[in-house]
Amino acid sequence: MNNNSNASYLKRERKRKLSRFTEYKSATFATGITFAIFLVILFGAFDFATQSFNMGTVSASLIYLVSTVIQALLTFKIKSDILKKGEVSSATRKLGFIMLLFVLTANIFIAIAAFNLIKKDKGIEYNLAIYSVLTSFTVMMISLLNLFKEYVANTFMLGMGVLAGLTIFYAVVMLLIHKFVHGKNVDKHMKPIGYLLIVSAISGNVFALLLGLVIITKIKHAGDEISVEWIEVLRRLFRNNMAIIGMFVVTVLLSISLCSYLTFDYSIATDNNYSALLLEPSLEYPFGTDDYGRCVFTRIVFGARISLAVGIATTVVPIIIGGVLGAISGFYGGKSDNIIMRLLDVLYAVPGILLAIAIVAAFGTSTFNLIMALSIGSIPTYARTVRASVLGLANSEFVEAAKACGAKDHIIIFKHIIPNSLAPIIVRATLSIGGAVLSTSSLSYLGLGVEPHVPEWGNILKAGSTYLETNPYLAIYPGLAIILLVLAFNYMGDGLRDALDPKLK
Amino acid sequence: MKKRILAALLCAAMMLTATGCNVKTKDDVTGGSTSSSETTSESTTASGDKVTIKLLTTSANETDANVIRDQLTKAGFNVELNMQPDYSSSQAQEAAGNFDIEISGWTTVTGNPDYAVKSLFKTGGDYNKSPVADSEIDALIEQAGTETPEEYVSTYAEFEKKLVEENAYIVPLYTSYKAQAVNTTVLVPESVHISKSRSMKWEDIEFVDSSKNETDPLLLTQTLSTLTSLDPIKGNDGSINMLNTNMYVRLVNLTDDDQITSEDSLSYNHAIAEGNQEYYFILRDDVNFAKVENKQAVDSGEMVGAEDVVFSLERAKDSNSVPEHRTYTLHESMDTIEIVTDLAALDAQKVSGSDTTVRAALEEGLATPISELVADKTAVDNAAGKYQVVKVTTKEPFPQVLNYLAHQSAGVVSKNQVESINTWDVATYDRNTDIGYGDQSVVTEGSTYDNHLMASGPYILLYKNDYEVVFQANPAYMPGTDSAPRIKNITVKFIADNDAALSALRSGEVHCLYSVPETKYDTVESDPNLQLTKIEANSVSYMIFNLREGSQMNNVTLRKAVLAAINQEDLIAVHAGQKLPAYSTLSPLVDTGNKLVYEEGKAQELLAQYQAEIAG
Repeated sequence: MNNNSNASYLKRERKRKLSRFTEYKSATFATGITFAIFLVILFGAFDFATQSFNMGTVSASLIYLVSTVIQALLTFKIKSDILKKGEVSSATRKLGFIMLLFVLTANIFIAIAAFNLIKKDKGIEYNLAIYSVLTSFTVMMISLLNLFKEYVANTFMLGMGVLAGLTIFYAVVMLLIHKFVHGKNVDKHMKPIGYLLIVSAISGNVFALLLGLVIITKIKHAGDEISVEWIEVLRRLFRNNMAIIGMFVVTVLLSISLCSYLTFDYSIATDNNYSALLLEPSLEYPFGTDDYGRCVFTRIVFGARISLAVGIATTVVPIIIGGVLGAISGFYGGKSDNIIMRLLDVLYAVPGILLAIAIVAAFGTSTFNLIMALSIGSIPTYARTVRASVLGLANSEFVEAAKACGAKDHIIIFKHIIPNSLAPIIVRATLSIGGAVLSTSSLSYLGLGVEPHVPEWGNILKAGSTYLETNPYLAIYPGLAIILLVLAFNYMGDGLRDALDPKLK
Repeated sequence: MKKRILAALLCAAMMLTATGCNVKTKDDVTGGSTSSSETTSESTTASGDKVTIKLLTTSANETDANVIRDQLTKAGFNVELNMQPDYSSSQAQEAAGNFDIEISGWTTVTGNPDYAVKSLFKTGGDYNKSPVADSEIDALIEQAGTETPEEYVSTYAEFEKKLVEENAYIVPLYTSYKAQAVNTTVLVPESVHISKSRSMKWEDIEFVDSSKNETDPLLLTQTLSTLTSLDPIKGNDGSINMLNTNMYVRLVNLTDDDQITSEDSLSYNHAIAEGNQEYYFILRDDVNFAKVENKQAVDSGEMVGAEDVVFSLERAKDSNSVPEHRTYTLHESMDTIEIVTDLAALDAQKVSGSDTTVRAALEEGLATPISELVADKTAVDNAAGKYQVVKVTTKEPFPQVLNYLAHQSAGVVSKNQVESINTWDVATYDRNTDIGYGDQSVVTEGSTYDNHLMASGPYILLYKNDYEVVFQANPAYMPGTDSAPRIKNITVKFIADNDAALSALRSGEVHCLYSVPETKYDTVESDPNLQLTKIEANSVSYMIFNLREGSQMNNVTLRKAVLAAINQEDLIAVHAGQKLPAYSTLSPLVDTGNKLVYEEGKAQELLAQYQAEIAG
């Protein structure tokens, strides 16, 4: 009995010890995910019609099986290192460089684990740099698939050059961070690098943007005792694996939809090709071609642009309108509160998607109408959220103080109250972008979204749904794209909520 | 170590650039001409001096619209797509003249070429929506109508050339197949006919297990659940074509390949008299009207006689016989319809293009030769040689009148019953209070139910609701012959969506699907329980131009440019190859030998010519 409880205590102690090391956590995560990918590919290799395996796909899955085994062995090594020596030995860390090669098999999870393993003291900058490199590398790899096409966009080489340059730049930044960034102390000479990183964010690389901001903020606040609030939030966010993977997916999609201006050819996505109707997935057409001979892969890439743009716009517009309305009614209370909120309640009573359908049906199908239709429905939710936090803040001391100083109402609202009530809005916004993407796709699927030839995910899915039995991949890939984006936003939102939770500070 | 990584990365980058040198860019392939689609799809304002064309269609034609938009765009047009959700809203756009080209379709339900051109392209025709107004075309249509099938081929060929090649009044797209899927575990597949023009023939259908014919209902499906009217002359659309075809017998029928036949019709035989203006029909005496009592079909005891035929055809050709008469244009060619009582008149007439007399032609194959012609149907007794003969005289020589007589709108109704119901005056008819014969409200379950139908055909409608319409066999329809209905009960389910209907067929909820979408042919063929039969249909898809005053489409060069931009082969490929090339609405009916050949670059040439024309 005593022995038994002792054993379970030791087990818990070991677990606690191991969980302190991100190296171990990310290594086990990579092992699990790689094995899962192996299973998925193996399942995909089985042809149910002929009851046989597709050898090409099986060999691809075997690569992942081998990766799993190697990664598992490495994980075991890390574990024994930690348990025996209380730290990861430098010999084990060197193995990380070999593991980096697995990025060539498109296994970013092992790559992330490897980056985690290589460096001992990982600051937030190092993590951001890892994801910056991985983002531009992934975008480059996806764009490279265009090489198998009959022709590439005129600006393809330029685009690829930019992407390759960015990847190298981020890798160099990673080395510089290793050299010049130690905890809170950032070398002043990093400042231009920080600005460069921010500029490079035009490629859609959110991680690079954040990295640049972190570096510049840290240089600015050099010597301060208290750490900057939002960097702390970011640090907490990076502790959550799923949230970061979600953010990575969103960033990759954002980046590819921006880079596609250079590396992808729009006509491949919209022009019919009558000699390539309904082709199976191949290297030239990674996701096959639809019933008009258009490359589904290219369409999904261009669709990401519309889905993200509409998704973000339909979140930003109601935030602004709802936010202002909520702030006014929360700050002034009384009659104005009653009038605004009751009116919004009326709007709230109408089901969002029905309202959207009615608006689109009345004003016609166009992207602008679509954004308006989806935005109006979600104004009340944001207004309520803002009103609730404003109500809490309106009587707080710093507002009293501002009032006592004679500050005008609009200055109090916009300078003091709104910045302090942003946290719940940010969380709600990230969580609802996913919903907005889904609504856009639903409307397009119903034929009420954008024009039918425009590559929007709902449109692509609709075209594929006719061929569900004969050419299922036409519906599966756009479906997966929608699932991936919505899931990514939701995980990111969950992570943000946890990171912003004041109780966790 | 880190330097080595850097070096490796640089090497990789250089390799990428090296491979990149072999990559063909879009300009290398397309020869530097910027793709037109990119500019048009991203900004409509950047169209510059491009010709903008408004394409009107419904979402049902989305596939065609997509291909046409693509082909016109590639030819250098700027296409604005106006896609309406349904037919009626697109009709509204059309009436407002809010289009340059419109995707249209035509099915020649009578199976004769005259119907496929007259109302569509003759000046003032019912369905001439462009409108086409060309005296040469009018003259050719008139001339072909009076000619026999051998003669009219060349006339129609000339007509087609004028319509398409010379004037580009329409842009033909394709001819469709008609496909039918049958559950072979339930139905005998050979008993389910598929005809080019005629709607589904119910009386021949049999269950594999013949004991079920009496007990189990045959389950069919149709899309539209609002029935226009069960009076045959008041409707000519998808909601009632199949139902009325099986509820009213006609003087003649069309075979599966659109030949005129007396088989399974009210006549034993028919004959065309010399001059192609007089048509004789000798009637059967073994068809009685059925009526509904307590939701069961019963024999009314009243025979379908020549009086009913004369009454039915008179009201069919008279536009004022009923309000909302939708089929009189089909029967305008008839001048008089009469009962022949003088046997000598039949002896005096010769059959067109032959030496036999009309009497001999009518008597052919009869068990008892004609001894007497009677006017009153109660005096008829075929076994004793007492027959009734109906004579139809056309205004002009017009052999194709037989096709119109085979159409469901020429179905025979009961003179007594219709006269007792339609007691109101047509001029003062009020659709809210006056109920006409065949109004769907009287067969709809509920307070308005009062089934007054009298069916001369093999089946009679018992009742309908929102989900289905139920039929039962006419017990007095040619009993004891091969033409008598096999299955006693038939239920037609309303399934609005074709894909859902196919699912219902596959799950056994219905036994036969009358129209299978072409993307689903593979699905049906791969199902071991189903059999797919497809034949070339009389349905042609084409585009019409807006030829009203002020429309840019009145320019023939521009129309020809649009015509030249369309490549039918590509369009057919998108339809999984399950369409046939077309030249005009006549293509499935008359082999005129005309073919439309797509020439690369011709559209651009014509477009440039047009732009030069309007500039200069």
